[in-house]
Amino acid sequence: MNARRIVITSGKGGVGKTTTTANLGATLAKQGHRVILIDADIGLRNLDLVLGLEKRIVFDLVEVAEGRCQLRQALIKDKRFDSLSILPAAQTREKDAVTETQFAALVEEAAQLADYVLIDCPAGIEGGFRNAVAGAAEAIVVTTPEVSAIRDADRVVGKLSARGLPMKLIVNRLRPEMVRSGDMLSVDDVREILSIELLGIVPDDEEVIDTTNRGEPIVLNETARLRAIYDKIARRLDGETVAFTSFDNQGFFGRLFGARKAG
Amino acid sequence: MAVGASPARGRAIVVTSGKGGVGKTTTTANLGTALAARGARVALVDADVGLRNLDVVLGLESRVKHHLIDVLEERVSIDDALVASKHNETLMLLAAAQTYEKEDVDTEKMRALIESLRERFEYVLIDCPAGIETGFKNAIVGADEAIVVCTPEVSAVRDVDRVVGLLGNRFKPQLIVNRLRPLLVKKGKMLSVQDVNAILRLPLLGVIADEPEIIVTTNKGEPLALRKDGQTASAYHAMAARIAGDDVAAPTVELKETFIDKLGTLFGGRRA
Repeated sequence: MNARRIVITSGKGGVGKTTTTANLGATLAKQGHRVILIDADIGLRNLDLVLGLEKRIVFDLVEVAEGRCQLRQALIKDKRFDSLSILPAAQTREKDAVTETQFAALVEEAAQLADYVLIDCPAGIEGGFRNAVAGAAEAIVVTTPEVSAIRDADRVVGKLSARGLPMKLIVNRLRPEMVRSGDMLSVDDVREILSIELLGIVPDDEEVIDTTNRGEPIVLNETARLRAIYDKIARRLDGETVAFTSFDNQGFFGRLFGARKAG
Repeated sequence: MAVGASPARGRAIVVTSGKGGVGKTTTTANLGTALAARGARVALVDADVGLRNLDVVLGLESRVKHHLIDVLEERVSIDDALVASKHNETLMLLAAAQTYEKEDVDTEKMRALIESLRERFEYVLIDCPAGIETGFKNAIVGADEAIVVCTPEVSAVRDVDRVVGLLGNRFKPQLIVNRLRPLLVKKGKMLSVQDVNAILRLPLLGVIADEPEIIVTTNKGEPLALRKDGQTASAYHAMAARIAGDDVAAPTVELKETFIDKLGTLFGGRRA
């Protein structure tokens, strides 16, 4: 059976693509799926760090693409889940070291070994983006509730729909208290602009910084609030109908054009 | 111009980071605003072709008529493309093209464009796109100084370290540590400025705390450095003074707790 091949992208950098890939991957693995995570950020890899696997890297994606080793040799098994592995990016090569065709072939091969292949896309819409998208059949667009992130996400949504990829949206780093005070766009605002199906809402959690620095995805922490959130996202992705956690709907635009909404 | 007087050539500084979302655009907008507040003539160049945002952060998105590629391809003059800030007479923006690709930029023409801006402005700040692909190469081509922006996260530090390596010695990179949360540092849950710079070992230009005000002002298109006071605005003004070569005190590396720190205590305090 062939795996779901999903690229995790955003346009803008630093909105949480890598963190999302790691946590969603770990959650899917915990739920019993076989998962392969591919770091497509050649030259600026980070997925290995976020999962605490940086010291185990022997081969990388470029070496697989160039036929210098087997995919199985380059895959690094996660320390905590047998069914989770990552294919690290090369750090000292350029993005154009791999062609779109090579990348698509590599994803296809990984898809034979897993139920889910998640591709962590680099920031931007250059060659690295085109490679990351080349082998994917679906996309998850990650954005934060900021004007610049949404603008970039909108541009990526345009590029993905031109390729006919079905898309789902994760709104990341929501700060409900800032939405409430009218200082941050709400999830409804974001959805209205991007108009793609909502997969999940992840609140901003300061613990993510610490767990990321330590190479422990936050979903491994039994008491973490985000564990339940990613659990729902993974189940939704797998086709279950799961209710959304309610945060707040009164948003930036609600305030801006507020009189009638508030009334 | 008097015969024999050599025109002073402005400084071209690229603001870069490797990793995206660490605050390059916000930093460019605020440093430009702070330099202009000192009376300097400043041009801000958005090199993020295809994913421009500097116009939004400066609140100028509806005033952009022409863009970088129009100028590079000689469809319009630089003067036609420069957009004046609403707040500082001496601050101008050259917007990126939104519907082009980074590969559409001709590297040699970009170098020439930055050169002609340097003849007219004292400072040319170039907002570099994330990554180290073509967009990065075009953003650095005309610059001879670099400001690297890093957040206190291992992934950002790793990416900055890589960018510093790629820049080589020519750019004399200076470091801004952005989005520091003093309380998290105190609790040992975030890298400190010293931790970051133990790895990077760069001259420290400044430290900026993680403040919700930054998101608010960015969304509104009014850079925080338009203000005179406050921890963050003052930090930008001090950085501008340092860039200009004024003898100002070294950056503070231990900041006051921020509003976000307090929120963290309110909402996150129940967990051990």
